[in-house]
Amino acid sequence: MSSPLSNPLPPHPRPWEEKNPWIAGLFAVLIPGAGHFYQGRMLKGVIYSVSILGLFIWGQKLGEGMVVYNLPDRGGAFRHVALSYAAQLGTGAVAMPALIQNRRAEDPTNRESLQLLKPMTAEFTGRLTPSEEPDTGRLVGTVRLEPVDGQFGSELSGTFTGQLDGQPVELKLGGRFKLDKPIKAGFRRELECGVVDGGPAVDGTGRVMKGTIPRSFFNAYGSPPDPGQLDDLNKRLGKLYELALVFTWIAGLLNVLVVWDCLCGPAYGFGDEHLETPSAGKSAAPAPRTESPRTSDLSTEPPRPEARSAPKAPV
Amino acid sequence: MFTALLPAQILLFAQVTATWYLLPLALAISLVYSASRYELPERILGRAIRLFLQIVGFMGAAFLILWVLTYGI
Repeated sequence: MSSPLSNPLPPHPRPWEEKNPWIAGLFAVLIPGAGHFYQGRMLKGVIYSVSILGLFIWGQKLGEGMVVYNLPDRGGAFRHVALSYAAQLGTGAVAMPALIQNRRAEDPTNRESLQLLKPMTAEFTGRLTPSEEPDTGRLVGTVRLEPVDGQFGSELSGTFTGQLDGQPVELKLGGRFKLDKPIKAGFRRELECGVVDGGPAVDGTGRVMKGTIPRSFFNAYGSPPDPGQLDDLNKRLGKLYELALVFTWIAGLLNVLVVWDCLCGPAYGFGDEHLETPSAGKSAAPAPRTESPRTSDLSTEPPRPEARSAPKAPV
Repeated sequence: MFTALLPAQILLFAQVTATWYLLPLALAISLVYSASRYELPERILGRAIRLFLQIVGFMGAAFLILWVLTYGI
């Protein structure tokens, strides 16, 4: 039987060295694993994208979409990027919208509306208040609102069509109106409407419809939450909200490793540099198949004896 | 069943439930770290499994120590 020293195995191919490192690095920064896919390192690409994007999305899901946002401390050392968000930003494109959403949310036009300016139709989920029992007064249906000219200027008019505690109902709306900010964290937007006529089944006098309508993904994703929303999340989710933050932080920090691996890795080589002669046991000299000169210096493992440089693989 | 539990026990139960989330987190960290160290699939997976067991073992040991120290509190 011939030893690996006398009949060395051919060096591992390094196809990624033929690819443009700048493009690979850019892909890796933007989408975890994309740089490795570009370099032809498919398994690593799958590991990176599934692990990192999985952690990030799971964190977002746990935190009800209010985990990744940028609220920098204007008086602190980091004037434009919050430290918490800086870690999440490592995940790449999926975290970058928060950079823009922060500025959009701070715009003076982004505020609660007390007056309806244009007609709207939306799916509504909420409650009809005041209800004496906490489990009653549940409203699910469609709300249609439009501004009309009234005695004192523009007034609200509209209808709610749907179900009240499972029973079909149609409410005539008017008077009070309050609509949450358009750009804000969370995929539901709070809406309050006065009820002027509940029909024969419901006494609408003095009642208010409180609930939520959908907020568009474009306005919700990456937008900063209000302090009240954060209080509510912490109260309802407790440790899970902190776990959600940790998931997104770890995802962003892991992608730093991925970018490095894409540009300079693998850190310890291919992983089979410790092949020993089968007959000579541990005393025999190792026969490395290949060694990356640029990565061997970065290794934190004990130095491998008699490692030699391998010729560049044929394309 | 839960009505018979003391508030402290309910709190402990909630903490233990949240602890399970650390397992996939440790798995993802192990996989990504190992993949950034090596290139061969079998080496990556082997190293990742070892690292995962080390992390879980360390967390388990820390949990046991804290559990013993807080026993009866």
